[in-house]
Amino acid sequence: MSIRLDNIGKRFGGFSALGDIDLEVEPREFLALLGPSGSGKTTLLRIVAGLEFPDSGRVFYDGEDITDLKVADRGVGFVFQHYALFRHMTVADNVAFGLTVRRRRDRPPRAEIRDRVQKLLDLVQLGQLGARYPAQLSGGQRQRVALARALAVDPKLLLLDEPFGALDARVRKDLRRWLRELHDRMGLTSIFVTHDQDEALELADRIVVMDHGVIEQVDTPQKIYDEPASAFVFDFVGESNQLPVTVSGGRARLFDRPLALPEGTATPGEGPARLFFRPHDAEIVADEAGALPITVTLARPNSGTIRVEGRLDALERLIEIDAPMGDAPQVGARIAVRPTRARLYAGTGAE
Amino acid sequence: MQGGATTESRLARAIIMTVGLGFLALFLVMPLVVVFGEALKEGLAAYRDAIVEPDALAAIRLTLLVAAIAVPLNIVFGIAAAWAITKFDFPGKSLLITFIDLPFSVSPVVSGLIYVLLFGAQGWLGPWLEQHDIQIIFAVPGMVLATVFVTFPFVARELIPLMSEQGRDDEEAALSLGASGWQAFWHATLPNVRWGLLYGVLLCNARAMGEFGAVSVVSGHIRGETNTMPLHVEILYNEYNFVAAFAVASLLALLALVTLVLKSFLEWRYDYHGKGSGH
Repeated sequence: MSIRLDNIGKRFGGFSALGDIDLEVEPREFLALLGPSGSGKTTLLRIVAGLEFPDSGRVFYDGEDITDLKVADRGVGFVFQHYALFRHMTVADNVAFGLTVRRRRDRPPRAEIRDRVQKLLDLVQLGQLGARYPAQLSGGQRQRVALARALAVDPKLLLLDEPFGALDARVRKDLRRWLRELHDRMGLTSIFVTHDQDEALELADRIVVMDHGVIEQVDTPQKIYDEPASAFVFDFVGESNQLPVTVSGGRARLFDRPLALPEGTATPGEGPARLFFRPHDAEIVADEAGALPITVTLARPNSGTIRVEGRLDALERLIEIDAPMGDAPQVGARIAVRPTRARLYAGTGAE
Repeated sequence: MQGGATTESRLARAIIMTVGLGFLALFLVMPLVVVFGEALKEGLAAYRDAIVEPDALAAIRLTLLVAAIAVPLNIVFGIAAAWAITKFDFPGKSLLITFIDLPFSVSPVVSGLIYVLLFGAQGWLGPWLEQHDIQIIFAVPGMVLATVFVTFPFVARELIPLMSEQGRDDEEAALSLGASGWQAFWHATLPNVRWGLLYGVLLCNARAMGEFGAVSVVSGHIRGETNTMPLHVEILYNEYNFVAAFAVASLLALLALVTLVLKSFLEWRYDYHGKGSGH
């Protein structure tokens, strides 16, 4: 199912939760809404679901305007952050709920409901646990029950609010992969909300990065990581170093020191700007000219490289870079660092 | 042995416990003993006679009738108020919360007088009611109204914290699965609050049967007609008919004891379920 959001706005009291959101989701796409808390990502998801109604703008499913349709009539699967399983019902009754509440003439016969529930429980690998109560399950199992329950109504669109937020790291990793497989196998269109960039980068076809109720960037994980459209995106997704610089005459200066920027770095207009680069996009050089002189404060192994932390002389600021194994500087040494890939964004970031 | 910061000396503990238990015995257990003692002073036959006497039976019947109307009404009102307050945002919400407490903060006598003022012969609606031959004050409808008013907060107060703590997730989950509003309430909301609801109903019922002040004002004390059990006890007592007065009073005391036992049971269930859910 394709989804189109047209100019969506939402206020809570005097607070603008969403401002003029435009977004299109392709059929069978797995889309992540990524942002810090308060960025409006959950509100946007709830508006897509029909749990919340926008103050302005329209929502389209497959080109059809369903803005005023209630959640019960939209036929979407929604998985809640804390699962919202019915505590007094068995796992099987939970999964069957979407079918048993149907009007008599739309309701499948009891035997058929039982079969479908069993199939769904098998699908989420909980085939033996139908008679248990939610309180008797682990977090990961509850999550899968919630998913099976949402899938029981045969939705074309699956919406998930922080689906892995309450799980420990190991379970989270397994469930992610499994969810992605399920999405592909069932031909769903899925949107999930997360504040975890790794989750979004690993799982999604495209990522929507949000901040303060507006969309900062919509792109593939690769592009979000390699070509962040704004300082916020660079900062929020992946690790980064950030330096206040001044751009004049197409060159960047850190205080009075000229900085040699990597080839092809686009420079914004004259004035204050921020330089961003990732720890793995920097090298240690012999020549201090045009480089960043730092005093090493920490050097420790970090998955295949040595993470070097150092204090920039001119500024009370730490710089992190990844140096190749076996070539790491000693703590206390003075070295020069030069970014090999960097981006400049206009402004000081304080506005 | 070194005691913890909150462990008092043996002597202090003994004093505190003696004071606590002494108070309990003096003000709670003794009256109870007196009630049953006085009621049975002239033997079981006299006790039985006092209860099966027609006026006493009428009072029991009326008490049950008033409670049977007031309690279900307050279940509906209480759930509706708690639902509205916890699941929706609307202007005047905090005002509604304040008003729910009104019957607790106002003297029951005043509660009764409100109805006399409203429906009595000299009241605002009195003349109109008289024209249409409807009697509310000094009749059963007035007593039901007064009881409903006085016992209104019990169910609502019990449900509001419970329902606001549980949030809207479960209802929203039900709705997203295609349930109607009523189905969401019946299958998702109500089961989550059932023990709290029962607890509120129990307290509501105990108060409905035991209410004296407000009902006394609107009843008119017509023997065999508008006397509830508490009013009947008062009349008997004022007539120096102590055995009968205490016999009827003992029934109310029994109701209190049963209520306490049920309340403890519900608290135990409530706790047990609240903790086991791991929500």
